[in-house]
Amino acid sequence: MSRAWRAAMLAALLAVLVVALTPYVWIILTSFKSRLDALADHPVWLFTPTFAHYPKVFIDKQYLPLVWNSALVASSSTVLSLVVGAPAAYVFARNDFAGKEDLFFFFLTTRMAPPISVVVPMFLLFTAVGLTDRPAAVIIAHTSFNLSLVVWMMRGFFADIPREIDEAALMDGHGRLGAFARVLLPLAAPGLAATAILCFILSWNEFLYAFILVAFESRTLTVGIPGLVTPHGTLWGQVAAVAVVATLPIVIFTMAVQRHLVRGLTFGAVKG
Amino acid sequence: MRAGGARLGAFVDRQLSVLFVAPAFVVLLIILVGPFGYMMWTAFTDLSFALPGHDGNFVGFANFRRLMHDSFFWDSFFLTLRFVVAAVSIEFLLGFAVALLIYHQVTRRRLVLTALLVPMMLAPVAVGLIWKLLLQGDFGMLTYYLRAAGLLGTDQAVLSDAPLVFPAIIAIDVWEWTPFVVLVLLAGLMSLPREPFEAAVMDGANRYQVFRDVTLPLLRPIVALVVLLRSIDAFKEFDKVFILTGGGPGTTTELLSIYTYRMNFKDWDLGYGAACAFMVYLVVLILCAVFHKAVFWQEGRVSAPAPEPVAVTA
Repeated sequence: MSRAWRAAMLAALLAVLVVALTPYVWIILTSFKSRLDALADHPVWLFTPTFAHYPKVFIDKQYLPLVWNSALVASSSTVLSLVVGAPAAYVFARNDFAGKEDLFFFFLTTRMAPPISVVVPMFLLFTAVGLTDRPAAVIIAHTSFNLSLVVWMMRGFFADIPREIDEAALMDGHGRLGAFARVLLPLAAPGLAATAILCFILSWNEFLYAFILVAFESRTLTVGIPGLVTPHGTLWGQVAAVAVVATLPIVIFTMAVQRHLVRGLTFGAVKG
Repeated sequence: MRAGGARLGAFVDRQLSVLFVAPAFVVLLIILVGPFGYMMWTAFTDLSFALPGHDGNFVGFANFRRLMHDSFFWDSFFLTLRFVVAAVSIEFLLGFAVALLIYHQVTRRRLVLTALLVPMMLAPVAVGLIWKLLLQGDFGMLTYYLRAAGLLGTDQAVLSDAPLVFPAIIAIDVWEWTPFVVLVLLAGLMSLPREPFEAAVMDGANRYQVFRDVTLPLLRPIVALVVLLRSIDAFKEFDKVFILTGGGPGTTTELLSIYTYRMNFKDWDLGYGAACAFMVYLVVLILCAVFHKAVFWQEGRVSAPAPEPVAVTA
C-alpha cells in the first residue's frame, strides 16, 4: 500500500476522532468560561478560566443532592439486579430444561421494551400506591432493564468458566449452592464487576423513567438538566458544569469496562 | 435441627434451577408485564386527568379507532420511521467504513476506541444539551462556523428552522451512535477466522473481492445484529430530541415517543395515550421478533467463530 494512501487514511481517522471529541471538549471548556466568554459572538477557545459555576450550581442552587440521588438510584438498582440476576444467569449457563431459550429470549424482550410504553402505566400504578417522587420508584424502573442485562451478560461469563470447575467443587463436598457461592461467583468476579459498572452507567444516564416518576426531592442529575435550560437567559456555564459532573465519572467508568463493553451492549451476542 | 438443615440443603440443591431463575422471572413479571397489562387495560378506557367524568370507563376499541384516524399520530409514526431508516443507514455505512479503517490501519486500537466511545457513553440528555449549546442561534460554536462557511444564513438557527431541524437530529444521532457500530463491527472483524482469507488470497482474489466474497458473508450475522439493535433503539428515541427541540418547531421533530409523551403527560389523555404507547410497544415487539429470527435462529446465538476471540482492545 502506498504511503500517500496510508497518510490519507490516517488523516480521515484523525478527522473522525476530532468530530467525535470536540463537542464534549466544548462543553467542558464552557463550564470554565465567564459569561462574557461563553456568550461571545465568535467561539472563544482560549480564555482565563473561572471556577465559579461549579459551587454556584451545586451549592447555591442545591444540585449536590441530585448527584447523591443519581448515585443512590444507580447503585441500588445495580445491586438489586445483580443479586436477582446473577443466579438466574448461572442456571442459564449450566442447566438445560424445556423452554430454556424461550425463557431466555423473554428476558431479552424486557430489555427492549420502549421506556415510554412502560413508564405510562408505571406512573399510574405508582401514583395509586403513593410511590411517586421516591427513589424506590426509579430504582424499580431501572431494575426492569438492568436485570435482563445482568442475566444476558453474566450467562456469557459463567459459560466461559469450564464445567470441570463445577464438578471439582461438588467433589470437594460443596452442595450446588455452595459451589455457586464459594467457587463460581468468585471466579466470575471480573465479569460481575464489568456488568455492575455497565448497569450503573445505564441507570445513571437514564432520563425518561426518572423524569416521569420523580419531580422534586428525589430528582436525579439527568432530570435536573432540562430545568436549567430556559428559552431565554440560560446560564450556560452552570448548565455545562452540571453536564460535566453528570458525564465525567461515566467516561472514566467506561474506560474501566471497555474490554467487556461489546458483550454488554450486544446482549452477549458478540464477545468482543 | 441439623437434620432439618441438611434436608433444606438437599432441597435447595435439587431445586436450584427453579430457585435461581424464579426470582428474576417474578421480578420482571411484576415490574414489566404488570404495567404492560395495565397499559392494555387503560387503552380500552376513557381515563383522563384533564376531562371531568373521564375516570376510566370502559370504551371498547374507541381509542384505537381514534388512533387510526389521527393524522398527527401517523405523521409522527412515519417521521419516526424516516428517522430510523436515515439514521441507522448512515450510522451503519459510516461505522463500517471507520471499523475497516481502524482494522487495517491502526495497531494501537485501544486509544482510538477510548476516544470514539465518548459520544455513546454520555447520558443522552447531556448529548442533547451539548448540541443545543453548539447550535444556539446567537453564540453557538457550530452555528458560527456554519455561517462562516456559508452553509447557514445569518438569520437562520438550525434548531428553529423547520427544513433543517430534522436532518440535524439525524446528524446528532449519527454522531452519538456511529461509535457503537464501529465497536461491534470491529469486534466482529477481529473474531473472524483467518483461513478463508488466506484461501481467497491463494486463489488470487484482490482486496475488493476478498471483502465482497469473504468478509461480508462472514460478518453477516453481526451486521444483522447491529442494524437491528440500532433500529430498535432509534425507534424508541426520546431523550436528546426532547431536550433539543421538544418535538418542535411545530411538530417537525415530534417522534412517536415524544407524541406519546405529549398525549399522556401534557394532555393527560391517558386512555388514548395508552393506546399510543401500545402501538410503540407493538412495533418494537415486531422488530424484536425479526431480531430473534435473524440473529438467534442459527445455533442459539452468534458466538465468535474463532476458538479464542481476540479482545477488542488488544
